[in-house]
Amino acid sequence: MTYKRKKYHHGDTHLKKRWRLRNRRKDLDEIDTDLKEENAQKLLNQEVDLDLPGSAQHYCLHCARYFIDEHSLNEHFKTKVHKRRLKALELEPYSIEESERAAGLGSFKSPSKRKIVTQNSKTNDLDKDGDVVLDDVSASKKKKVEDAE
Amino acid sequence: MRIETCYFCSSRIYPGHGIQFVRNDCKIFRFCRSKCHAAFKKKKNPRKTKWTKAYRKTAGKELAIDPSFEFEKRRHTPVKYNRELWAKTIEAMKRVEEIRQRRSNNYIMQRLRKGREIEWQRDVREVQRDISLIRSPAAGLKQRQAEEETEMEVEPETIEVVDAKGRKQVIEAPVMVPATGEMIEDGGDIDL
Repeated sequence: MTYKRKKYHHGDTHLKKRWRLRNRRKDLDEIDTDLKEENAQKLLNQEVDLDLPGSAQHYCLHCARYFIDEHSLNEHFKTKVHKRRLKALELEPYSIEESERAAGLGSFKSPSKRKIVTQNSKTNDLDKDGDVVLDDVSASKKKKVEDAE
Repeated sequence: MRIETCYFCSSRIYPGHGIQFVRNDCKIFRFCRSKCHAAFKKKKNPRKTKWTKAYRKTAGKELAIDPSFEFEKRRHTPVKYNRELWAKTIEAMKRVEEIRQRRSNNYIMQRLRKGREIEWQRDVREVQRDISLIRSPAAGLKQRQAEEETEMEVEPETIEVVDAKGRKQVIEAPVMVPATGEMIEDGGDIDL
């Protein structure tokens, strides 16, 4: 192999770069705490931050991602990435406490399953009569709809 | 000095071993060796990685729920030093460890026993299904046919009875009078 030929191969640099500390995304257990009502409210109604995509106004809770506008956020909800994430969050995420329980510090608790649904979009879909269509009615959603009316 | 537990495989980490990662929410993740650290960096799920304790306990491979696990725990309550208490605790730890090991070994043996039972049932079923490979179903067929023929030659048993008009009749035995439920004997009276 000539020297030049050798230099075309980049090895697994691209993979290593992906796992660099500064490229670290939120872990599932961090997202799990984000899903709590008070944290979720804060994340969904963030102040305008010009450094973040879409000024931090369109945030997907489950994927911990910012989107540039409402449309791309809604499109994201339909993607496989998002649905896969919802599925991953269904089971209670692994935590440090669980690793200790597995080691024999206290009885082991098997993880419980929850129902995870996509957050409510800010502009609700309207049906023929002009009523708001809701696929899931959570406390925050109800409040939002009432505020809009 | 404290013996920590690995975040990934839940094994013990002795002082001077492993590496720890502090996430930006102040949570400390301790790893016993680079294998566990690398797996964490790759975001592997310890519950689905077969060699971790978390997997073995969620999959029911090992004893997971038992009162003997309630002794060793992170309690976050300071205890004042007391030599007597210390001595007693050391003794109790040995005893608890002994009981815990016995129970977990017993659990594994119970689990394996179930497999043996299933194996046995499968063997029985196989023998029943494939018995024809050892012993032909046609073996002794002629003999059986001959036996059946001799059985067929035996005539049905008949009895002689006298009916209401005093005539003698021959009928197959045994016969029961429907009204009374009595059996009719040979040469007895009958109302027909």
